[in-house]
Amino acid sequence: MTRRALIALCALTLIVAAGRPFDAQQRDASGPAPVFTPVTYERLLNSADEPENWLMYSGNYSSQRYSGLDQVTVANADRLRLKWVYQLRDLDRAETTPLVIDGIMYVTESPSTVIALDAATGRVFWRYEHELPEDVNYCCGRNNRGVAVLGTRLFMSTLDAHLVSLDARTGTVLWDTEVADTRLGYSKTAAPLVVKDKIITGIAGGEFGIRGFLDAYDPATGDRIWRFYTIPGEGEPGNETWAGDSWQRGGSPTWMTGSYDPDADLVYWGTGNPGPDWNGEVRLGDNLYSDSVLALDPDTGELDWYFQFTPHDVHDWDATQIPVLADIEFDGRARKMMLWPNRNAFFYVLDRLSGEFLRGTQFGRQTWAERIGEDGRPVRVANMLPSVEGTLVSPPIEGAANWWSPSFSPSTGLLYVMAYDSEQIYFMREDEYVAGETYTGGGGRRPRPRDAYYSAVRAIVPQTGETAWDYPVQPRSSSGVLTTASDVLFGGTVDGYFFALDARTGDELWVMNVGGMIHAGPMTYSVEGQQRVTIAAGNTIFTFGLEE
Amino acid sequence: MLWFQGRNARLVLVAASLVMGSGAGLAAQDGENPHTSLEDVDAGQRLFGMHCSRCHGFDASGDEGPSLRRGRFRRAQSDAGFFRVISEGVPDTGMPPISRGRTDQTVWQIVAYLRSINQRPESISLPGDAQAGRRLYAGAGACATCHMIAGAGRLLGPDLTTVGDRRSPAELRADLLEPDRDVPLRWWSVRVTYENGRTLEGLRMNEDTYSYRLLDADENLWSVSKRELRERERIETSTMPSYEGELSASDLDDLIAYLFSLRTEESLP
Repeated sequence: MTRRALIALCALTLIVAAGRPFDAQQRDASGPAPVFTPVTYERLLNSADEPENWLMYSGNYSSQRYSGLDQVTVANADRLRLKWVYQLRDLDRAETTPLVIDGIMYVTESPSTVIALDAATGRVFWRYEHELPEDVNYCCGRNNRGVAVLGTRLFMSTLDAHLVSLDARTGTVLWDTEVADTRLGYSKTAAPLVVKDKIITGIAGGEFGIRGFLDAYDPATGDRIWRFYTIPGEGEPGNETWAGDSWQRGGSPTWMTGSYDPDADLVYWGTGNPGPDWNGEVRLGDNLYSDSVLALDPDTGELDWYFQFTPHDVHDWDATQIPVLADIEFDGRARKMMLWPNRNAFFYVLDRLSGEFLRGTQFGRQTWAERIGEDGRPVRVANMLPSVEGTLVSPPIEGAANWWSPSFSPSTGLLYVMAYDSEQIYFMREDEYVAGETYTGGGGRRPRPRDAYYSAVRAIVPQTGETAWDYPVQPRSSSGVLTTASDVLFGGTVDGYFFALDARTGDELWVMNVGGMIHAGPMTYSVEGQQRVTIAAGNTIFTFGLEE
Repeated sequence: MLWFQGRNARLVLVAASLVMGSGAGLAAQDGENPHTSLEDVDAGQRLFGMHCSRCHGFDASGDEGPSLRRGRFRRAQSDAGFFRVISEGVPDTGMPPISRGRTDQTVWQIVAYLRSINQRPESISLPGDAQAGRRLYAGAGACATCHMIAGAGRLLGPDLTTVGDRRSPAELRADLLEPDRDVPLRWWSVRVTYENGRTLEGLRMNEDTYSYRLLDADENLWSVSKRELRERERIETSTMPSYEGELSASDLDDLIAYLFSLRTEESLP
C-alpha cells in the first residue's frame, strides 16, 4: 500500500469511528425523520414512559432525579467512556442540568445563555445569549441552572430577573417578560417548572431585602397569571409573624425549582432565608413563609398548606432544596410523602397531601437543636444565635445540604444526598436597608479551612432517617445525585471527579477525573438506543456512554 | 499585640492624615483618602459588613477571598489603589465592583476602615535585631534545614522569601512558639502503609477521594493511590518544632525582626 493510500484509509477510519455527524437523526421505515417533536403536557406527565429523554430539571414531576434507563449497570459501569465534550464559552462555574428532547440537548451557560446541541455528538444547532443590562444585582454567582419546555417553546430565567421564551428549534425569542426589577436586587437563576398550561417560576434575592414570591405565566404570551407572595401582606394571615414593617424586605426567595403531584394537583416549592440573614432582632417572629415548603394550587396560586422547617432562621438556612416526592410504606401503610434533607441538617418526612409532619431526624452534623419536636418545630439549643463576637454553630452557612439535587430511587427505596458535616462562626451586625444593596445583618467565618471537614454521599432510609451507607468524599462535594433503574448512582466532587456507585451498597464502580469543579446535577438519556450520562464540570459539558 | 485595634488605630490614622496635611479636595486629586474621620471609619466598618464580608470574612481575616488584615495588599499599594479595586473590582477573579449606586464617599470610608485595622509594616518598630536574627536563622535556629529564602534552603516548610508580607510580627511569634495552631492544609502530613507493609510518610501536598500527592523528607514526590493502602493516617499537626524554650526571649525577638524584614519592595506615597 502506498503511503498516500494508507493516509486516506486512516482518514476514512477516523471519520467512521469518530464521526457519524447526524447520529441524532431519528429514523423510521421511510428513512430519516425530524429529531424534535413538540413536548405536550401529556408527555411531561408521563415522562417515565420516555426515559430516553430528560424533559424537566429534576427529570420528572416527583423530582426524584431517577431514570428508568438501565443499560449502564453495576456490572458494566467500569466500561463508561467519554463520548463527547462541549466547551462553554463563559469561564464561570456551570450549574446547568441539560434537558434532552428527542436527540436535542438544551444546555444553559452562565450568565443567561442557552445552547441547543446534537445530543449524540455535542455539535451545536443554535446558541442564544440574553443581553443583560450593565447593572445587575445578584448574590451568589452569575449562574443559570436550566430551561423548561412546553410544545415547541423553551422557558429560561435570566440573571436580570426576566423570563424569556425561545423557539426550541432555532432559539428565536418569542417573548421576554420582566418578572421583577433587578435594580432592587431581584434575580433569577433556576429552571422554571411547566404545570399544565402555566410556567411556574421563582425569584432570587434573599440577600437584598426583597419580598419573595412565586409566579405563574402564560406560555403563549408571557403574561403573568398569578403571584403568590412568600411573605403575607398586611391583613393576611402570617403577616403578624414579622415585627413591624420588616415583612416588606424579609427575603424568603424561591430560587430553585419545585415539584408537582398531578393526582393531588398541588405544586410544591421551597422558600429561602428571611432577611436580613443573620440579624433576627429586626424581624422578631416566625417569619412566615421563609424556610418553608409551600403547597399551592397551580391554577390559582392559592395556598393549600405550608410547613416551616426553620422558624425565625438566623443562619441563612434556605429551604430551597428540591422537594422530593415519593410513594412509600411508612408506619405500616402506603403513603404519599415528601422527603426533605434540609440545609439545617435535619431530614424531614411530610405527608404531601396534608402537609402533616411525620418525622424529623438529624442527617448531618448539627449543634443548634436538641431535636425536632412532635409538632415539627425545632427544640433549640440556647445561645446558638449569631453574635457580635461570633458564635460557633453547625451546620455552616452553606448547610448540611443545599440546592444540589438529592435523588430518590424507587428501586432501592433510599434517599441520596450530598452531606457536608461542618461548622461556622456566625456574626451579627446592624444593617441598614438600601434599595438594591445587600442586606444581610452579619456574616460568617470558618474556624478551619473549608476543605478540612467531612463530606459524603449519604444514603438515608426514609422510614427511619438512618444512614444506610456513606461514601466519603475528600475534600467535599456540591454535586447533585442521579440514580437509575439499574441501581447505579452518579455524583461528583468539587475537585473534579465524576463517579458511579452501586446505589444499594455505596460501592465504587467507576471514577473519572474530569478536572473541573462539579457544581451541577448529573442527568441521563439515550440516543439510538445508547444510554448516555451527562455532567457539567468547570465550564465543560461531558457526556459518557458504555464502550462499544 | 502589635497591631493597633479599634479606637486607638483610628486616632493613629487620623493623626497620620493630619501630619500628611493635605486638604480634602487636593487629597482626592492626589488619590489620598479624604474621608478618614472616626465616623468615616465606623461607617466603613458597617459598609464592609454589607459589601465585603461575605467573601473576606466578617472580621476581614479572609474566607473565600483573601485576608485584609495583613498590612500589605497585593493589588492596592496606596489608598488610590484601594479605591480603584473596590470601585472597579478585579477582572477574572471573584472580586466584583461595588454597587454602582454607591458614592465615592462610600468607597473611601471602606478604605478608611481597612486602613484602621492594618498598619503599614514600615512604621512598625520591633525590639529585635534583624541582622542577629539572620545569623540565628542560618545557625542555632536551623531554619534553612526546612525553609527556603530566595532559592536557597529546602522545600519542607513554607518559602519565607516574602514572609513579612504575609505574617505580622505577632503571627510570626505564634508560628515559632505554637506551630501546631492553625496548620494550613498544605503542611499537614500523611503516614501510609501499603498492602505489602511498606510505609511512607510525607507532607500532604494534596489529597482527594482516591489519592495523595506527597513530598517526603528527602524532597521526593510521591503519587499514592488509596486503593493500594492497608492503613493511612492524616497528621494535622506541623512538622515544625516549637521554639518555646529553645531560643531566649531576645533571640526570638531577633528572629522575628529578621523574618518580618523579608518583604517585597513597594512604592508608598
